[in-house]
Amino acid sequence: MKVLVVAERKGTELRRVSLELAAKATQLGDASVVEIGGERYSPLPFVSALAKKVQADAPDLVLLGATQNGRDLGARLAARLGRAYAADVTEIAAQGGSLEITRPMYAGKVRARMRVPLPAVVSIRPGAMRLREGAPAPQVTKIEADAAAEKLTFTKFAAVASGGKRVSLAEARVVVSGGRGLKGPEHWNLVEELADALGGAVGASRAVTDAGWRPNEEQVGQTGKTVTPDLYVALGISGAIQHLAGMTSSKVIVAVNKDPDADIFKVADYGVVADVFEFVPAFTEAVKKVRST
Amino acid sequence: MKILIPLKQVPDSTVRVSVAPDGKSIKTEGITWSISPYDEYAIEMALERKDDDPSTVVSVVTVGPARSRDALRQALAMGCDEASIVIADEAIPPVAIARALAKVIEEAKPDLVLCGKQASDDDQGFIGPALAEVLGWPHVATITKAVPADGSVELWREVEGGHEVWTARLPALATVHKSEKEPRYPSLPGIMKAKKKEIPERPFTALGVDASGPMLEVLSMEPPPARGAGKILKDGDPRHLADQLATALRDEAKVL
Repeated sequence: MKVLVVAERKGTELRRVSLELAAKATQLGDASVVEIGGERYSPLPFVSALAKKVQADAPDLVLLGATQNGRDLGARLAARLGRAYAADVTEIAAQGGSLEITRPMYAGKVRARMRVPLPAVVSIRPGAMRLREGAPAPQVTKIEADAAAEKLTFTKFAAVASGGKRVSLAEARVVVSGGRGLKGPEHWNLVEELADALGGAVGASRAVTDAGWRPNEEQVGQTGKTVTPDLYVALGISGAIQHLAGMTSSKVIVAVNKDPDADIFKVADYGVVADVFEFVPAFTEAVKKVRST
Repeated sequence: MKILIPLKQVPDSTVRVSVAPDGKSIKTEGITWSISPYDEYAIEMALERKDDDPSTVVSVVTVGPARSRDALRQALAMGCDEASIVIADEAIPPVAIARALAKVIEEAKPDLVLCGKQASDDDQGFIGPALAEVLGWPHVATITKAVPADGSVELWREVEGGHEVWTARLPALATVHKSEKEPRYPSLPGIMKAKKKEIPERPFTALGVDASGPMLEVLSMEPPPARGAGKILKDGDPRHLADQLATALRDEAKVL
């Protein structure tokens, strides 16, 4: 099978998910990796350039990361080329003349195994494919976004004061999320200090983003981000079904809540029944100590 | 300004979804259906524009089974002006649904189309970008704010570290990630008014659009693997519990 991987870059580095895709593609068959150059992602110039590349190379499968941009580009590309499309896939294998994939549905409440006819466009969930440490860096061909296809005007970038310095939530290997149990945005230093000690990203429950304590982009759960880190730490989060949908695929889950009956404990590998204000500062210190020895 | 929102009726987000005996679908007996959450945000975003400028007309449309009419009724009760349904009882290729919506849009001639970024049943996120593609319109994905200006609209897109602000000449399409406010609840007068409104319907086949296209086939469905019973740490000095947990994460779970 001929596979074309569409790589994404964050700053100067390829995104981790792009490396995961490149590694998976070589298992699936004859793989090549392309990156679309342009100042910033915009659907029409990117789709136009990528569609030409796909028409020229005729890969059976186009693989993208199920990132904010990858999911958008993949959907429009599939519509343009009349290809089958599957988003946010967590397992993929060639099976006869088609693909057999697994993907979450109903906000992660169900896992579906599906047959996807070829040719296809598939986006893969970050972290779902194993990345062998020390695997060789993929050879990336660069194509330019088709500026002539643009119909939108970029007006400005409105930066938010916080954020930026931490790893992105969807790809982070460690996520520390805060809930209503933290009682107010003024206590977020507890979440941030623990996240920094663990080298992780900061998340929040919907109650918190709805209350305006934290920006929407930090929301984990249904209508927010789905995360699959190695370690997920839920601080003062009760565990509403919508929140669980966004994080139950994490490898190890730690929950800290003073209510021993909180639903979050049903999915936690380690549950700590304690007051977050007493426990978290002590835990941050303990993490620093353990990591330094 | 005329804003149109294609919506989908899905199991309510509070429903505990379970797999049906056929192993390929979900149990639908007795479940509550609602407007898909991101579509609700799109409706709220449109209604906020209508709050600012009462001449704004907000319409909703769905392609789906007859039960979807309840979701349209819910949208009317929230304050939308008009609703229509294209009845499709059987599974239709997603791209053909985009074509059906495009046909409705070509007739209705809205200035702005707002789609939820994905429906919370299949979670594919295909229809919005595909609809823009069929229409030949530009689109901006996963917006959190739409500010109309003269003949154009400013679309705010939340990305890592801030917002990109794009300007699109109308007509344009955007997929919605969030509205500025939480979706409003239907008011009692809204519910009464919605009951009286006509919801025109026609079958998918009456649109005369190409119904072909690739489709995914569900082979099986299962609940996500259950997580084993975890360890509970309690009744101790916080510092002691903290040390215990940090050590366990390093030595047992091997994630530190």
